[in-house]
Amino acid sequence: MSRLLSIALLGAFGLVACGPKSMFRLTSEDNDRTAISAALAKRKLPEQPAPLNVARTPRMFVVQNGAPRTIVAYDLATSSVMWKMDADVKSRVWVGGDFILTLEGKQLVARDQKTGTPRWKIGVSGQFIGASADRDRAYATWREGTDAKPTWILAGLEASSGKELWRAPSEGELGAPSAHGGIVFSPFLRQWLYLVDGATGQQLARLRGIDEQISTVRVTSRTTYFGSRQGVFALDARAASGKRTDATYGQAKIPPQLDRTSYGIDLYDQVQTGYTAADRARVLWSSVPSESGPMKFTGDTYAVHYFRYMFGFDLNGELVWAYSNPRVELVASEHTGSAIIGISSTGEIVVLDPKTGALREKKSLGLGQPVLGATFDADGWVPQGDEEKVTTVAALVSIARDRDARFDRVKELAVASLAKLPGGEVTKELLAVLSDKRAPQKLKDTVVEMLAKRKDPASLPVLADQLAIHSDFLAKTEAESLSAVAKAIASLGGAKLDAKVVGPALVALQSHLDDPATQTPDLIMVIRAMAAIGAGAERGPLASHLLLYHADDDVGGDGAWQTAIVTALDTHGGPGEHELLRQVAADPRTKPGLATAIKDALVND
Amino acid sequence: MVGLACALGGAVHAQPGPAPAPAPAKEPAAKQAAPKAPKAPKAGKGPKIDLAPTVAAVNGANVEAAVKAAELLGATGDPAAHDALLDALAMGLPPTVAIVAVNSLIAHPAPPDVVALKRYAGHHNPMVRSAALASLAMYPDPVAKKAVIAGLHDTAGAVRAAAAAAAAKGRVREAIEPLFELLARGEDSAAKALAAMADADLARKIGEHLGKVPDAILAQTLGMVLKRSDFGPDPARVELVRAIGKIQDSQAIAALTDYLDATPKNPPRPSRQEAQKMVEARMGGGGK
Repeated sequence: MSRLLSIALLGAFGLVACGPKSMFRLTSEDNDRTAISAALAKRKLPEQPAPLNVARTPRMFVVQNGAPRTIVAYDLATSSVMWKMDADVKSRVWVGGDFILTLEGKQLVARDQKTGTPRWKIGVSGQFIGASADRDRAYATWREGTDAKPTWILAGLEASSGKELWRAPSEGELGAPSAHGGIVFSPFLRQWLYLVDGATGQQLARLRGIDEQISTVRVTSRTTYFGSRQGVFALDARAASGKRTDATYGQAKIPPQLDRTSYGIDLYDQVQTGYTAADRARVLWSSVPSESGPMKFTGDTYAVHYFRYMFGFDLNGELVWAYSNPRVELVASEHTGSAIIGISSTGEIVVLDPKTGALREKKSLGLGQPVLGATFDADGWVPQGDEEKVTTVAALVSIARDRDARFDRVKELAVASLAKLPGGEVTKELLAVLSDKRAPQKLKDTVVEMLAKRKDPASLPVLADQLAIHSDFLAKTEAESLSAVAKAIASLGGAKLDAKVVGPALVALQSHLDDPATQTPDLIMVIRAMAAIGAGAERGPLASHLLLYHADDDVGGDGAWQTAIVTALDTHGGPGEHELLRQVAADPRTKPGLATAIKDALVND
Repeated sequence: MVGLACALGGAVHAQPGPAPAPAPAKEPAAKQAAPKAPKAPKAGKGPKIDLAPTVAAVNGANVEAAVKAAELLGATGDPAAHDALLDALAMGLPPTVAIVAVNSLIAHPAPPDVVALKRYAGHHNPMVRSAALASLAMYPDPVAKKAVIAGLHDTAGAVRAAAAAAAAKGRVREAIEPLFELLARGEDSAAKALAAMADADLARKIGEHLGKVPDAILAQTLGMVLKRSDFGPDPARVELVRAIGKIQDSQAIAALTDYLDATPKNPPRPSRQEAQKMVEARMGGGGK
């Protein structure tokens, strides 16, 4: 397979090498630091992060579903719709200085950004790969020819007229272009990123990814990032190394439960020329310039937009905040550097603080039709006004109890994150998941595991309260959480506990020890829990329990029960309990396994 | 082993706390405040037995011998035999032996039995629980009543039935509400218990459950009350017949017919006449 691929690549490269003059070729100088620095110096960038549009106004361009579809231009600063235009939009929206660009049917259409009126239309022959725009120009890439001899073309177009300024053919695959400050970035054969002068179409520099492919490019008003699903490089002089270790390279620690997350559009995936589900699973970040070391995420944090949810993480990958959008998914999102913006499928704009997850703004566009996607031109924007209280616990609870089966793994992440937060309220919420008959079993297993891992003394009263539920035919209740609760209490062994809280907890545990409805596996957990927190007060009830079942086939014959009860009385008991164990071991009616367990335990006594 | 049971009595029924409770098996009868509490068994009643080998047998590994020994210890009126049963129960008995032991206790019931019986009323073996509940019916102690009521909530149907029977036997008024709940769930044992416990007031209350419990079981319950020879006076029976008459289920006719079959025509009894009229009206004629 790899051989075939190599032959095919060599063939393609041979054609490139022998064809007409093309800047897209295999042999060219890669990662020339001087050339890259010079190219970057040519960029016309704002002093501060700012929207690209000439008015420097934060804007959002929304594509609504319907027949026909509608483009809605929205001014984020004034919270007002600028214009709405029906259009057969087949792509995402690319934003230029005073225009926007879309593929409408088979035509590339530039519209006046202020009014939405079409400025020019150009028919696209061949297969449309993607487009981009900067202040003064539009750029498009498409594929012509046959499968046997395809040609990719990158072209620069005048924004005012659509006049073709230049074109650059390639016999190797080009990805969709991105543009930024007068430079076009064109991915080539998944390994290179060309920096092309937007005015002339001349190559300025070429980057080769040594450690990973280059399949994604994200541009903000001041920084360009490139990389793959594995991570992103900031396009600065250090990017010339092509290596993660020597470049400004950033890698967000993405929990495995959010495995569909990517850093940006896959520029080689034609489907992603339009808005897709891939836009709903994104790493959202901004960075501050650095002369050395890895990429420095702004505020030492990054976020992940995952369908209905947003999660904020610290640099260790620990969840810092969470936001759960009610009912519907967020279809698009962007990090402006100072805020995270998202828009839901029902047209609600949500703005969050990237550091805390606090809700900065929530407004409805009042759109009738579902939103397919949106492009933000709002770099540096942050809404005015007060932040709402951070609702991370509520968000995590909401995620954990979400009925949507598609997000079962996200629920596990929510539960695991929730469990790391201290306090009885959190424990109560985790227990509520266990009581939820519709919650998936795997999630419940995670909750059980997390409850035990918490080792949170403050949760003991909540756990004890949960023990009030017994299996009761008339009340139609079942002590479903007993094992988990007992396990969680058992994990508190050795912790400093308030004696006032321990007493009721012990009474509640004994009520289950003495309850015939308590199944043997649960009994074992109850015994362990009593031994863990009892500080001696548990010895009497456990001794009575041992006597009651030492000659019983079912409970007394259970190996795990034998170990649990003997361990509890041996480890936590005094001379009286040891004497009792010896007597039980000597009783001819005692189950043989139990007698052996006692003898083993007391071997050094 | 008996000696050990005494020594470890504190552990046998202990509540969580720093110090073990005193040995219940040895708790003096005078400490039980219930006015109708059974007195401690007196010597001289029942057959005389050789206590030492019998006690050894009840605590021995031979289950068959232990069962027989438990029966013997219960049959004799010797207080020491009763204490030996309590000690054996305190030390833990295999289910087969425990069932006989808790039955044997009530031959000569004594207040200290309640704690032991309550412990076995929570045993994992449903047959042991049922036997303990049946025995608890003999004790007017509130603890015993509470245990019987708890048995009505048991997840095992056989145990609920035993608790219902115990509630009826012990006339546990506090059990009436949960028995109605069981009746609503169609449990025959609740019907029998309520019917057995019913006086005129309770019978009226049962009749008022029309629509709240299944018609068939309501008719059966009222029918069982009606057939009780000790239920009366006749105006109360008339009221009961009318309550049954309001039930549409065919079990209502069956209950009334059973009453007619079980009651002589003479001397004339208004409740019988009322029942006959209702049966005729429902069945379109014919008489008994």
